Amino acid sequence: MTELATTVWQGLAAAGLGAAEGWGVPPAVPGPMWIGLIPALPLLAVVLCTLCAIFKVKSKLPAWLTVGCLAASFVVTLLMYLNMSGSPMLSTAFTWIDVSWGSERSPRNLHANFGFYIDSLTCLWMLFVTGLATLIALYASEYMSHDVGKGYSRFFAAFSLFVFSMACLVMADNLILLYLGWEGVGLCSYLLIGYFYKKPSAVAAAKKAFIMNRIGDLGLALGIFLIFVKFGTVEYAKLFADGAFKEMLGHAMTGTSESWAKIPWDVKLIPILLMVGAFGKSAQFPLYVWLPDAMEGPTPVSALIHAATMVTAGVFLIARTYAVFQLSPSALTIVAIIGTVTALLAATIGMAQFDIKRIMAYSTVSQLGYMFAGLGVMTSVGACFHVFTHAFFKALLFLACGAVMHGFAGQLDLRKLSGVGKMPGWRIVGITMLVGCLNLAGFPLLAGFWSKDMILAQAFITPGMGLVGWVLLLTAGLTAYYTFRVYFRVFVGPQEHHPGDEAHGHDDHDAHGHGGHGHDDHGHAKADHKHEAHDFHPHPPGWAINLVLVVLAAASFAIIPLTFMGKHGGWVGDMVSHSSAAWSAPGEHHDDHAGHSHAAGDTHSHAGESSRSHDEEKLGTFLGMDPHAVMYYVSGVVGLIGIGVAYRLHLQGRTSAATSRADALLPMLGPIPKWAQNKWYVDEFYHFLFVRPLWVLSHIFHLIDRMLVDGLVNLAGILPRALGATIRPSQSGQLHGYAVAMAGGIGVLLLIVLLVAR
Amino acid sequence: MLASWMLAQSDYPIPMTNLTLGHYLFVAAAMFAIGLIGFLTRRNLIIMFLCTELMFQAAGIALVAFSRYHLNHTGETFVIFVLTVAAAEAAMALALVVLLFRRRESLSAEEWGQMKG
Amino acid sequence: MTMQSMHDKILELWPELVLFAGTCVVMVMGLSPKLAVRRMCAPVAGAALAVAGVLAALTTPEGRGLLPGLMPFAKVVVSVVGLAMLLLLDGTVDRTEERLIASGQPFNPLRTNRAEFYAFFLFSLTGLMLCASANDLIWLFLALELTSLPTYIMVTISRGGKAGARSQEAGVKYFFLGAMGAATFLFGFALLYGATGTTNLQAMKEFFAHAGEGGGITDLAIAGMLMSLLGVAFKIAAVPMHLYTPDVYEGAAAPVSAFLAFTPKTAGFISMILLCSTMGWTHGAGHSLPDLVRLLLWVMAALTMTVGNVLAILQSNVKRMLAYSSVAHSGYMLVALVAGPGSGRGITDNGLAAILFYLLSYGLMNLGAFAVLACLERRPGPDGEYREIETVDDLRGLCKTQPALGWTMVVCALSLLGFPPLLGFFAKVPLFTSAIAAGEIVLVVILGVNAAIAAYYYLRLVAMPLLEEPDATLPPAARTPFVSRPLAAFISAASVVVLVAFAGTLMREAGEAAKPPKATGHSNAAK
Repeated sequence: MTELATTVWQGLAAAGLGAAEGWGVPPAVPGPMWIGLIPALPLLAVVLCTLCAIFKVKSKLPAWLTVGCLAASFVVTLLMYLNMSGSPMLSTAFTWIDVSWGSERSPRNLHANFGFYIDSLTCLWMLFVTGLATLIALYASEYMSHDVGKGYSRFFAAFSLFVFSMACLVMADNLILLYLGWEGVGLCSYLLIGYFYKKPSAVAAAKKAFIMNRIGDLGLALGIFLIFVKFGTVEYAKLFADGAFKEMLGHAMTGTSESWAKIPWDVKLIPILLMVGAFGKSAQFPLYVWLPDAMEGPTPVSALIHAATMVTAGVFLIARTYAVFQLSPSALTIVAIIGTVTALLAATIGMAQFDIKRIMAYSTVSQLGYMFAGLGVMTSVGACFHVFTHAFFKALLFLACGAVMHGFAGQLDLRKLSGVGKMPGWRIVGITMLVGCLNLAGFPLLAGFWSKDMILAQAFITPGMGLVGWVLLLTAGLTAYYTFRVYFRVFVGPQEHHPGDEAHGHDDHDAHGHGGHGHDDHGHAKADHKHEAHDFHPHPPGWAINLVLVVLAAASFAIIPLTFMGKHGGWVGDMVSHSSAAWSAPGEHHDDHAGHSHAAGDTHSHAGESSRSHDEEKLGTFLGMDPHAVMYYVSGVVGLIGIGVAYRLHLQGRTSAATSRADALLPMLGPIPKWAQNKWYVDEFYHFLFVRPLWVLSHIFHLIDRMLVDGLVNLAGILPRALGATIRPSQSGQLHGYAVAMAGGIGVLLLIVLLVAR
Repeated sequence: MLASWMLAQSDYPIPMTNLTLGHYLFVAAAMFAIGLIGFLTRRNLIIMFLCTELMFQAAGIALVAFSRYHLNHTGETFVIFVLTVAAAEAAMALALVVLLFRRRESLSAEEWGQMKG
Repeated sequence: MTMQSMHDKILELWPELVLFAGTCVVMVMGLSPKLAVRRMCAPVAGAALAVAGVLAALTTPEGRGLLPGLMPFAKVVVSVVGLAMLLLLDGTVDRTEERLIASGQPFNPLRTNRAEFYAFFLFSLTGLMLCASANDLIWLFLALELTSLPTYIMVTISRGGKAGARSQEAGVKYFFLGAMGAATFLFGFALLYGATGTTNLQAMKEFFAHAGEGGGITDLAIAGMLMSLLGVAFKIAAVPMHLYTPDVYEGAAAPVSAFLAFTPKTAGFISMILLCSTMGWTHGAGHSLPDLVRLLLWVMAALTMTVGNVLAILQSNVKRMLAYSSVAHSGYMLVALVAGPGSGRGITDNGLAAILFYLLSYGLMNLGAFAVLACLERRPGPDGEYREIETVDDLRGLCKTQPALGWTMVVCALSLLGFPPLLGFFAKVPLFTSAIAAGEIVLVVILGVNAAIAAYYYLRLVAMPLLEEPDATLPPAARTPFVSRPLAAFISAASVVVLVAFAGTLMREAGEAAKPPKATGHSNAAK
């Protein structure tokens, strides 16, 4: 690992990656106060929804309040974007933590205000967070309608609280506030996963998400602490301007082993710790197991939190502190490798699942792996671009799956549904689903294609990352296959459907719900969940769901032109390269993207020029060709092959929902499909590794406690007999047990102290 | 080291003859030990309480001895307060014992072992 | 002690004097045959506490003593938490008695407990405040006993009827073991006096500081200190003196258990801080406690955290679980005690300040958890007895049946767990940082592991109310008819959330409170 890392770094250094002065954030300027409205409006929605809950409002009022507040927040975000200048803006809402200590000579202080650091990266994230949140809240207003008057207000309060926390996370001007937001989104996710708390599986999933995230959060907390200890501040603006920090960055950029030696080991540890935090939140190997289970939550939650926004917080963290990640020779390499492993592993599991929502979940894990790999191979632009496009099409896919689930009484098994797209009233869902699938599969010229391509090409260019590139390319093919496996089996082909029931239904509320309350226009019996297939009438989605699906599908087309806007990497590239995440990737000048050979801004020209001055052989190639030039075609072809295989196996000649040609292939593969279906037994492994020992340990301690108390009582029974006949034989009583244990404990403790000290 | 330091005190107006601080401390320690052992072994609540009194008064003896040794009255003052607190505890203990006897008709500490774990 | 200093000392004792006056009034009022007068007991006690708190806040530390800033801060904390406790204690005693009186039975002052109960509550808090003002071993002994003795009675009389057997069992265990602990630290005090020839803490510190000049830390002093700390360990429920905790908390009524988790623990920690201050820390940077003392506290901290947490995992009774967790929390604070005041400049490397802040936070959030239990009961069965909510299963689906109480439990349990961004998290951070600053890395690791283990049982308190369905086979738990109890619960839950915004201020105040006095003559000479 270390050797590989060193090679990569020598390669990067040779490629003349931005010397320390090549990276620089302009000094921050004060920003307007109204920026605070962006988090404040969702918070207002939380308060209003809570009031609705207290006054037991029995209408859709909480939904409209939420949609209104979030839409207003989106508008403010747009204004913020339009107000952006070149420099990051700082805006402080109120003083939060302000502690100082230390001697007069070296005063130390901890400032962490409730303040916002607004640069283009912040804008990019907030635009899609608030925008998608508004749309998904609108979708949820219909989706959750069976819960009106029961959990409706609670749902929207938690939903708004999530948006507030996410805003804190993204807009924070210091790491403590980021941590607050980080925990906040975790809490909301925990609450919303467990929303259907009647189901044990939902409760277990919530618990799992909680524990897995704790592991990651511990890393993040330690990382923040170390940053504070080493650089004396947790504020981005001060950190990036810190003298010691810049000096170390300079050492890292020099890239020789002597200059690496000048960076203390604990500074090199910081990126590793932050990375652990990012892995937990963004569900990377080995902490990814919580995300697929998190699909127990209502579908809008899966779409917003577990596909589009929260899980990209890890990517955001790394992008925001990208400079810090340069301080370790191995951090980004590890990020790349873990990201790639996650992408491949999750894709293989996704291929073998039958629950369409779960397939989408594994696909999310896999795509997050892509983003991390993108960060790891030094294209923060590509990673952020993929976050951006992925947010749209993955939300779209989840919402479409949710519509199916809503309409078919919780049915999600792709062996029980077929030809849904052709059923009356389902046309819009079918078409929008196709749009989402094409994006995910990387169909040429669509948004998902451009962003995936950018990461792939960079993987082949960055020295030492060729293997990563090949694995990612393979994963792209697998992705196309499993995506269209879902589409071909569920949305096209012969029409057939078996409604779900309580036992398998994910949102079991739905199963009862839509029959009775809320959907008078269908008016079928409440006993729907027991029905035979022919009794059941799937009810197609209403206007809100359709509207949101159409808007999202349109948006995923609308963002395609953004790719060609601006300079390198399109509009998103512009946004990223003017932020703290800016870091020129090797060989960027090769990019003939939309006809701009010059990188954006001064920062990039620096890198570009210095790159040219070095020899270019160090940069990787794709089979001897320039990756940027050929990757479009290669990845396009790989995607089409994946789709083709899926067509051959899952659509061509299929006569029923349950069977397909793929079944014939299964025996040839031996036990592998079964293992993949069982998620490679990772859960079982974790259970064996962690849960069991702790339980055993606590029982051992309990046993020792018993033995200590009872044992000492018995011991005390001997002493009195030895002392004299007048003392009664000891009988074990609780009060005495305690007294003897206390006295004995004092003795033992003193003995230990004396023995150790002397 | 401890013993020699303690025994060095001899210039008090009225000499302590053969009795030194060490003797008093030995008595105090022995009393404390006897009290503790009694507390740990006896089952009768009243006897157990008397044993704690023994431990309190052992500390009292040590205080008085030290007071004499240091030639100030602080220790003796302390003892007065210890006696007061001991009296308060005695009142409480007796009230408690009466209350407990009413419920269980027994003075054995073993009657009271319902809660455990 | 000169007349002048006596006069000054009295001036600093106004809060205690007010509390004492309030105690006397309450004790008489509780015996009035008129219900309206009897009902005034709690408000009068509350008024006395409030006045005492204001007076304490107005007291300016004079820069004398071991920790000059400790007194006002600790007293204000005591009166604030005390007021919240008072809301919770409403209706603990005399419930049956008042019903009988209402149905026509004549008032019999011998049969009621109200006067004693509130008076003892105030007495105990008076003792707690006196602990904070202590500058003498005799004083400290009296203050500790004044804190504890009333609690023995409060535990014993806190429940009536059949449940009375449990509270009496709790009382007998608590009292007898407490007497043993008291005898232990009294003997330790005697030895400390013997080693130094004085009971004045400041003079003791001077004595210890002058090694070789007729002073210094002798073996006798170390023995005295070890015994004192082990005896006081009973008050904070530290291993090995923790064994009574679960039984007593289970046996006492929930409001009294909440009281126990705060009052003796605070008294114990303040005493430990004062005692340790005489021997260590204040001789300037780099000075630690004597090896043996530090080691004792170190082992005690490690054992206390671990034992408390692993035993709490196995509990199904919420009160026992919270009792063991209270043991564990003492262990956390002991870590900061081992760390000591460090450079003494701010809370992040001053372990003593960390303890003070943690005591406040713990008092508030623990109050919330117990308050939820105290607010609920099962309707009387055939025997006419109300049954307390005790097991974890009783909390099943509480967020559905009693949303406000359920959420209080969720918030308080998360805060006790140290879940960011709640108050408990901000309280735990200084514990970690001060211990790291003091170089106690192993303890910090043990602390971290324990904080993780604690998640296992606290999450049950979160998951049961929030995620489970109410048990359909049992009648749902009902609210007790005391309005002030839910109020205490909500105040606690709200403060756990709201005080986060003021965490910085509170931490600064705690840092001021635990600042060692300005360098005195000899420590300048030492430089």
